[in-house]
Parts: sequence; structure tokens; C-alpha cells
Amino acid sequence: MIRVLVVDDSRVMRQIVVRTLRQAGYDWEVREAGNGVEAMAAIQEDEPDVVLSDWNMPEMSGMDLLKTMRANGFETPFGFVTSEGSPRMREQAEAAGALFLIAKPFTPEAFREVIEPVLA
Amino acid sequence: MTTATVDFASVFEIAQVVFAAMVDGDEGLLVPRDDGDDSDDDGAGAGIADPVMSWVEVHGPYSGRTAVITGAETAHALVRALLGDGDAPVTDADLVDAFGEIANVVGGNVKALLPGQGTLGLPKVATSLPPTADPLVLTLRLAWRGEPLDIAVWLTQEEEGGNR
Repeated sequence: MIRVLVVDDSRVMRQIVVRTLRQAGYDWEVREAGNGVEAMAAIQEDEPDVVLSDWNMPEMSGMDLLKTMRANGFETPFGFVTSEGSPRMREQAEAAGALFLIAKPFTPEAFREVIEPVLA
Repeated sequence: MTTATVDFASVFEIAQVVFAAMVDGDEGLLVPRDDGDDSDDDGAGAGIADPVMSWVEVHGPYSGRTAVITGAETAHALVRALLGDGDAPVTDADLVDAFGEIANVVGGNVKALLPGQGTLGLPKVATSLPPTADPLVLTLRLAWRGEPLDIAVWLTQEEEGGNR
């Protein structure tokens, strides 16, 4: 079973992401973190198969989390789930090594569109 | 003028998509409000009793904020709909989290309409808005499930090359 770490400072948004994963057909094992610092600790303790992270968070942003992961040798597949889905943000995400960016609000179809190619 | 991209149609479309995807599951429950008052001078949230506001600020080539304003009871109903918790009581933490996230997603999408790089602040929730030097450029007077709900945008394009 694929193990995902969902990172967002909003509990309700983590809940919505997990619900949408299920609706998209991904019955994954889920762990949650409330910011980049918590996420990095969770990754160091037990590396997940994929990280889905908000961008804009207190303590440590999603972008800083991705950079910290890569600097520490974690090449875990990483995707942003963020309210800012402009072309500039997508370029920044890709340049930093993110596999995809899902813009909020999202649908189960939006999840499948970006996750299926990764699973393939 | 680039702020023309932030108009009623574009922000209303964002709001409808956000509410349909996150809150209601269907479009059509967030509609323009017709309460007989079409004055542009009343300001954001005017006439909404016991108001609660959630907002995010943007900084960069543009500074400003996007706010969602509605009555406290309606805000609680919104949070319950978002959480899918039926009639469960809404805690202050739930209100700050869920109502703030609505402003965050609406504001993030409004920011995406603006040219140039910029940063989005973290969402805040309160019963009044702090003062701002940025002008109010847009107020959407809407109704969600029949209850008044305003979405307002304040924006200043920072001076650059004299193009304001």
C-alpha cells in the first residue's frame, strides 16, 4: 500500500485532501503534518512513498520543505496542493523538483490527472 | 490597467468554483444578492449583522487583501458544510481554520489573476478588519444559501515605472 504524507497547516484542508484521495480511488495509508518542520521530522522518522504539501505554511513553507528534503538526500516524490496555481508558481515548483502542482479548489479528477502518470 | 483583470465576473467565477468544490458539491448555491440596495458606497460587509471576516493579504507588485464577510451564524453553517459535520457545534478553532481556508483559496486564486511575482499571507479571521491604506476596488454582494455574504478586494499596484 502506498504511504502518503499530507502536509497542510489547515486541519480541514488536510481532511479534504484525504477525502479527495479516497474519492479519486487511492486507498492509501495516510499520515499528516501541520507544517514543513513537522513534515521533515516525520520524513526522517519514516520516509513515505509520496508527499502532498501545501505551499504557504507557518514555521516552514512547502517550498522550503522540498528544498530541505532534497538537501538531506530524500528524493521522495513530491507534489504541491496549494491555493496559488499560477504559471509562475508551477514553474517554481517544477524547478525545485516537484512532480506536480494541484491548485485548490480541486476535484478527484484533478488528483487522478497528476497522480496516474506518477504511478505509471 | 492590469487591475481590470480583477473584476466582478472573474472573482465571482472563482468564488463559485471554490464554494462548489469545497463547500456545497454543486454550483448555484452562491448567487449575486439582490436586496434592493445597489449602492457602491456602502463598503464591504455593510448591512451584514454580527459579521465575521476572513482574509488573506498579498504583497509584491500588488499589495492588498481579499476578504470574505458574512454573519456569524452563516459562517458557522459554512464551516459545518465544509467539515461535513451536520449539526455539530463549531469551535473557535474550527471557525478560524475552515472559514480562513475559504478566504485563503479565494485569495490565492485572485492573486493568480495579478501579473508579477508576489507573496500571499496566511489567512486570518476576526470580527473586524484591520485598517488598510489599499483602496477597496471590488465588493461582491452575494448570498450563500440565501444568507448575505460579501467578497471584497483591496488592491494597490506598487509604483514601478510610473505605471499605477
